[in-house]
Amino acid sequence: MTTSALTRMISRSLLAPTLIVALAILVKGYASVGDGFSAGVVAALGILLQMLAFGRDQVTADLPIHRAPLVAMTGLFIGFAVLAVPVLTGGAPLEHWPPPDEKPIYLGTVELITAVVFDIGVFLLVLGSCVKVIDALAGAAAEDDA
Amino acid sequence: MSGGPTKPAVSGSAAAAIGAAAVLLVAVAVLWASGGGRIDLPWAPAWDLRLAFGVDGLAALYWYLAAGVGVLVFTYASAYVPRHLAHDERPRAEEWRVHAAMTLFLVSMVGLVTSEDLILLFVFWDLTAIASWLLIGFDRQKREARLFALMALLITTVSAVLMLIGILMLRAEYGTTQLPELFRLAEPGTTVAVAAGFIAVSALAKSAQVPLHFWLPRAMAAPTPVSAYLHSAAMVAAGVFLISRIHPLLALEPALLDALLVIGLASMALGGVLSLAADEFKRLLAFSTVSQYGYVTAMLGVGGSAGAAAACFYVLAHALAKSALFMTAGAVTEATGTKLLSESGGLARRMPLLAAGAGAAAAGIAALPLTIGFFKDELFFKAAAERGTWLAILAVLGAGLTFAYMARFWAGIFLGAPKGDVQHVERRLVWPVAFLGALVVVGGVVVAPFADLARSAADVTNGGPVDLKVAYHLDTRTENLMALGAWATGLLLFAGHAVITPALRWVERAGDAMGPERLYWGGLRLLNDLSDRAHDFEIRDLRSRVAAVIVPGGGLVALGVVLTPTAGAYAVGSFETEDIALGVTLVVCAIAAIAVTFPRGHLALALMLSGVGFALATAYALIGASDVALVAVLIETIFALLFVGVYALVPQQVLRREARRVEGRSRMVRDLVIAVASGIVTTLVVWSALSRPIPVDGMAERHIELADDAHGQDVVTVILADFRGLDTLVEITVVGVAMIIVAAAVRTRTRA
Repeated sequence: MTTSALTRMISRSLLAPTLIVALAILVKGYASVGDGFSAGVVAALGILLQMLAFGRDQVTADLPIHRAPLVAMTGLFIGFAVLAVPVLTGGAPLEHWPPPDEKPIYLGTVELITAVVFDIGVFLLVLGSCVKVIDALAGAAAEDDA
Repeated sequence: MSGGPTKPAVSGSAAAAIGAAAVLLVAVAVLWASGGGRIDLPWAPAWDLRLAFGVDGLAALYWYLAAGVGVLVFTYASAYVPRHLAHDERPRAEEWRVHAAMTLFLVSMVGLVTSEDLILLFVFWDLTAIASWLLIGFDRQKREARLFALMALLITTVSAVLMLIGILMLRAEYGTTQLPELFRLAEPGTTVAVAAGFIAVSALAKSAQVPLHFWLPRAMAAPTPVSAYLHSAAMVAAGVFLISRIHPLLALEPALLDALLVIGLASMALGGVLSLAADEFKRLLAFSTVSQYGYVTAMLGVGGSAGAAAACFYVLAHALAKSALFMTAGAVTEATGTKLLSESGGLARRMPLLAAGAGAAAAGIAALPLTIGFFKDELFFKAAAERGTWLAILAVLGAGLTFAYMARFWAGIFLGAPKGDVQHVERRLVWPVAFLGALVVVGGVVVAPFADLARSAADVTNGGPVDLKVAYHLDTRTENLMALGAWATGLLLFAGHAVITPALRWVERAGDAMGPERLYWGGLRLLNDLSDRAHDFEIRDLRSRVAAVIVPGGGLVALGVVLTPTAGAYAVGSFETEDIALGVTLVVCAIAAIAVTFPRGHLALALMLSGVGFALATAYALIGASDVALVAVLIETIFALLFVGVYALVPQQVLRREARRVEGRSRMVRDLVIAVASGIVTTLVVWSALSRPIPVDGMAERHIELADDAHGQDVVTVILADFRGLDTLVEITVVGVAMIIVAAAVRTRTRA
């Protein structure tokens, strides 16, 4: 993989902003454009950019890429947990908290509601899945070259 | 090997497992001494489920066994598993897997025996199956271990589906899955008979009863401590536990009890014969377990006070002795390196403590006096004789077989001429055997505490007080005569073993050739073939199969367009100046779509396709659907990159060949006709849809109104995460599954 020093520098300095944008899309999702799905894809694209610039071996050494399936399954687990917990306490499946007539708890301007927890599950699943698929394809391509 | 394996200390995970078992043992002792206890908490009230646990006599008996034998077996395992790993050159760090799964098993077993709710019981039932799968398949580098772990899992969980059906039938009939309620409400009838029968089938599979007995000898692929625990005191015991637990339901239908009796006797006979034929220690013990739980099943089939008493006492006596014998087998294999009776002998002098402990345990199974086993047979003979002469005769024959194979096991290992070298083994491999052996003898002298525990268990099984009295009587009562007959038969079989061996081997071969195990493998192969065939069918001619869905669908839409009244359907709206941007974008989109049909190279094709997508995303943005636009842009980006990634995996010459391929003229005409026709129909459909007035009270308005109640301002996200959350959950599950499939497919390709 031969990329210029400039490409590598720009790619590396874009990683943190990409992840922060993803996080913003996730957190702000309930109030404005974006949701867990978009956030997950943005974050995965950030990691894909690193792979293109530095090659899979370097990125695997720098970032915990091998955890991607774990991240994905954690997301799925969170999704199902949000589904199951209300049932255990006597509600309907996927019933969100707080109910319509109650005020949510505020952390600054961030509202604590279970729908956002659900969206975080979606985010983790999409991020993990995309990264795993990209990594699998890149790994197979690397083996072909070898 | 110089100096043999070093003495491994007890690892942290092993200590934790032993500690957990000890805590549970103390817990049951305290609970039972203070008269039992109940917990009843609501659990998923929407589905009317309760976390209802109770410690009654039956629960206490099996809890004592699981935790008490657990402490000893876990101690044994703390020395055995490091050796086992060292033999296979695996790192010692993997040790924790055994201890963790054993502890999971123990906890599930405690949950199982204390459950008062059938759904709860079912959950723990399957948890024990999962733990046993992990344990039997611990040597996952060995194909056999994996296959036989799967076999044990399939036999016990597929049959557990029957149990779930039975439970749901009871729930549908009586509106509850609480056992005390069910016992109160249930009346003789078809529903109860079928439901209880289903539950009993699953229990019999777990207890390895004929004809589902074949998984147990195969499960001996597990490390020895696992066999000592699961296949003596815990997993197989869970089956007869369940039959004891639902016995009041079974007792409503005499035919079910008779079936239990027949299955029990068949297992007793077949297990005894195959045990006598076996040469491998653990195989002998496995068939012995089949046979011994056959006794218990038969006694539960006899039912009543005598049957319940005999069954419960039998389980207690057997579990103590059998786990000691399994541990003996492991210790002997570690010391001498052999697993076969024909290769061992003369160990009594070299390992006197092990010989004594194993001797007491074997005498316990063979029901000699001064062991707790004597009383198990006394109760067994009593119950059998009460039922009838023919059963008494079968009981004596069965006990004779038991005596013979136990004598063969012990004498084969410890008597005769010494064979081979003896390595030093840790004391932890020996003293649990000695302790259990001592317990078997203590139970033969001071039987009252054991009898009390078995009596309280039998009270629950029988659904009323039972008469359980055991003592030595030096007179000629029936039970004593039967015991003498059994020992005589046993001695005869033992002495004439060489003579009957050909006959035993014949039974063994006949079982291999025609037994139910062949059905299992055949069924597995059939399922595999079916799955392969479905897979091949699915991926062959992908294009024509997609066409088979799309062409008729498109035809129906076209028919709809033709038949729909056209009045006001194709209105021509106005075109304002602010629409110029949108119009330009859509023209770009259309040009890109037409351009897609021209390139021959795959990469260019992929880029053209995403060009269409980006143009469309711009159109979304211009009409104010910012959420949709964002997702469209992201999807187009990542899909274009994935296309490139996948192309990188296809060999270059294949791509080039495909790109150069020239289609025949007729095919091109056909494609052109399809493309033009579908373009016209789609245009008409979209045009007429946009011409209709927007519905006033549609779901869209409702969603926008409700978004505020859901504490959200972005309606699209609220719909995804809240209103249509279940859809989203299913979709992300699909994404997760797709990820697993892609990763597996890429890996398979690389291997090939």
